[in-house]
This record gives sequence, C-alpha cells and structure tokens, in this order.
Amino acid sequence: MFRLQRRSWRFIVGQHRVPFLRRRCDLTKISEMPAVARGFISNLDLPVVYDPSWTQPVPANKRRISIVSTAAVHRRGDKPFSWLAKDFRAFDKTDRDLVMTHVAVEFDRSAWQQDLNTIIPLERLKEMADDGEIGSVAEEHYSFMGAADPVTMEKSARQAAARMKQDGVNTVFLIPI
Amino acid sequence: MCGLAHYFESEGLSTVLVGFVREHIEAIKPPRSLFLDFPMGRSMGKPNDPVFQKKVIREAFGLLGTDSGPVISDFSEVIPVKDGRMGYALPPELVLSVEDIGDVNAVLAEVKAEMAALRLDYEAAVAARGRTTVGASGLEIEELAPFVAGFLNGEIPQSPRRGMPAIPLLKLVVEDLEAYFTETRTHRDSIDDLELMGKWFWEESKTGRMLLLLEAVSIASDNKVMLQIVEMSLMAPRFWSEGPLPGTSAAGW
Repeated sequence: MFRLQRRSWRFIVGQHRVPFLRRRCDLTKISEMPAVARGFISNLDLPVVYDPSWTQPVPANKRRISIVSTAAVHRRGDKPFSWLAKDFRAFDKTDRDLVMTHVAVEFDRSAWQQDLNTIIPLERLKEMADDGEIGSVAEEHYSFMGAADPVTMEKSARQAAARMKQDGVNTVFLIPI
Repeated sequence: MCGLAHYFESEGLSTVLVGFVREHIEAIKPPRSLFLDFPMGRSMGKPNDPVFQKKVIREAFGLLGTDSGPVISDFSEVIPVKDGRMGYALPPELVLSVEDIGDVNAVLAEVKAEMAALRLDYEAAVAARGRTTVGASGLEIEELAPFVAGFLNGEIPQSPRRGMPAIPLLKLVVEDLEAYFTETRTHRDSIDDLELMGKWFWEESKTGRMLLLLEAVSIASDNKVMLQIVEMSLMAPRFWSEGPLPGTSAAGW
C-alpha cells in the first residue's frame, strides 16, 4: 500500500541514487552549491515512497488541469501561511491579486512580482486550452508552504484532491518556487 | 513538492512536476518530472516571456505521454545561476552591529524619505501591472518602516495585526519592504535582474541598511525566535552565502 515516510537524505544518496535518464554533466548540483545552502539541502530528511501509485494520463485534449504551487501564495486577505504550515490555500483561475507569505527568503521574488505567470502560469494554460492543446483549466488552483515536511501534508493534499475531483480535474501540474 | 505528487497520484490524478533540485527528484521519484536548471523563484523561466514559459509547460506536459515511470527529463535550456547559488546572497562580509544603529529616529527618517521618493514610480508600476505583491503583512506602506524601527530599540513591539504575533509579522513586513522597492525598480527601469535587484536593495539602499541593523539586533536578542530568523536566514538573504552569518553558527540548518 502506498506510504510516504521520512528517511535520511544521506542514506538515500548512498543506497538508492538512480539516474533515470542520462544527465548532462554541467547541471547545478548540490555538491557545488555555496556552504550554507549545501549544508541545509544535503541534510534534509527526504520522504521515501513505498509502493508508489501510477495514474495513467488521459489524452491531451481531455486534460483538465489544476496547478499546485508550493510558493505559499494566497489571495490578499486570506490567512497568511504559518512557517511550517500543513494546510493549503485555494484560489480561482481568475484571481490575480495574490500575495506570498513563504517563510524562506532564498528564492527570487522579483520575477513573480513582474509576472504572475512566472510561477503560476494561469494565462499560459488558458491560451493552451483556447488553442486545444489541453482540455481545460480548472476553476480552482492550490498553494502549499514549500518549506513544510510533505509527510505532514497528506491530509490536506487529499482534501485538495477531493476538491479537484469535484471540479472534474484529472491532471495536476506541480510547480515549486 | 515531489512528495505531494505521490499523494495526488494515489488519488487517481495524473501529475507532472517541474523541479530545481535534481538529486531530490531522483530520490523521491515522483511519476513525471522536468528538471529545471534555473534560479529559484522562476519556475517558468522568464517573466513576460510567454514563448519561453509555454516551452517549459509543453516539455513538462510531454512527459504525460510516457507509459511508465518514474521518468525525469532535463529541460532543454539552462538559465545560468551565479557561482552555484540559485538566488541572490548578501556578501558574507557585509554585516552590521548594534553599535552602528545610532539614532533610531534618524535611521527611520532616512528610510521614510527614500520610500517617499519612490512612491510615484511604485504607483506607476502597480497601475501598469494591474497588481502588486506588496501587502503580505496587511500593513499600509507608511506603517512598514516604523514597525521595523520599533525593533531597533531592542524591544519587541506590539503587533498591530490581530491574530499575528510581532515576529512573524516582522518577516512579512520585510517582504513588503523589499517588494515595494523591487516592483518599483523593475518597472521604472525595465530591468529583470535578480542579482542587481538584491544588490541594490540589500547593499545600497537605506532601507536595506535598516534591515541589516535589524539583523544585528536579532543576533544580540535574548528572544529565541528573533535569533532563529537570523540563524536560519529567514530574513536577510544569506542562504546562498559562503558561510554562516558571523555571530551565528547556522545551527538552525
């Protein structure tokens, strides 16, 4: 049965590192990051997946797509995310007045300030739906706190999934910040 | 993010994700992943570039055509990062101390004047974009700098926002201050350069200097949460620095 549990990242690296496809040798690697970030990222306890599920995608023109962002964005006036929030915020496909209450400051904010589509590409998806590249764009989209442990997010992830299915969503586009 | 993919997939929803840390994707094995060698905060690559953004989406959605997985692919283009860091970082040597604070009222007056000088350009940016990200704290723009200045006296001021303690609010105020500056400058000067924006705000502006003074107050504070926000680089951008902030151990990490 599907389970998600924590395990030491260093153990995972030692035992199970699997390059699925051949990778270019010049990509940004944890080992080449500056000291503070390298220490943090390489010491994270990552979840380990047992018996993962696989849902066969529907054809492109049948896809109804919802975005899930871990940027901790939400509508202005909604409750800000706490630092290790397990919950989520939903926003509509037409919402543009969003603010960000992410605890971490290591990522650039200036791009999404200029263009929301840089992190939540609602207008791009609408264009693709209008052109028939995808089926449709969901009414609701979702944001989580990316700094939180995903193992603690199971309940809220399943709640979001239930809302998606009520909206006829069959495909989720997950976007980090 | 990778963990969330498994939850949705187990609910009968097909997932595809984009991600910045390839080693994590390899370890957690979400069903379909597109690795992006981009600076963090730019998942679709480039602001106001629909062609590039759509290229990212199309390569990601192309993975929905695979019959089995997990599958991980590298996006066909790289947006270079500087010195292995995926965002702006303060120079490690740029550190202030509480002795540098001097007259708090004078510090605040300088910041207020600096912000007032940007106000028309900020409003022009908001009008042009039809939106602003300033406002995470819920405070008015005029309230932001005085709230920070309240900490420079070494005390924790009362939070003006019901339901939110002063220190979590402080973090959002810092966000709002930086957003006020960078939203203004990216529009006014038509530039998109995260390194330049970080350098301008944190190293050159009076407001950035006030926040480095706040960092000095935090290091000297008896309050554990104040210390935590500097130990964990949760306020000033030191996550990508070569070494912890002097006076801290980075033990929070």
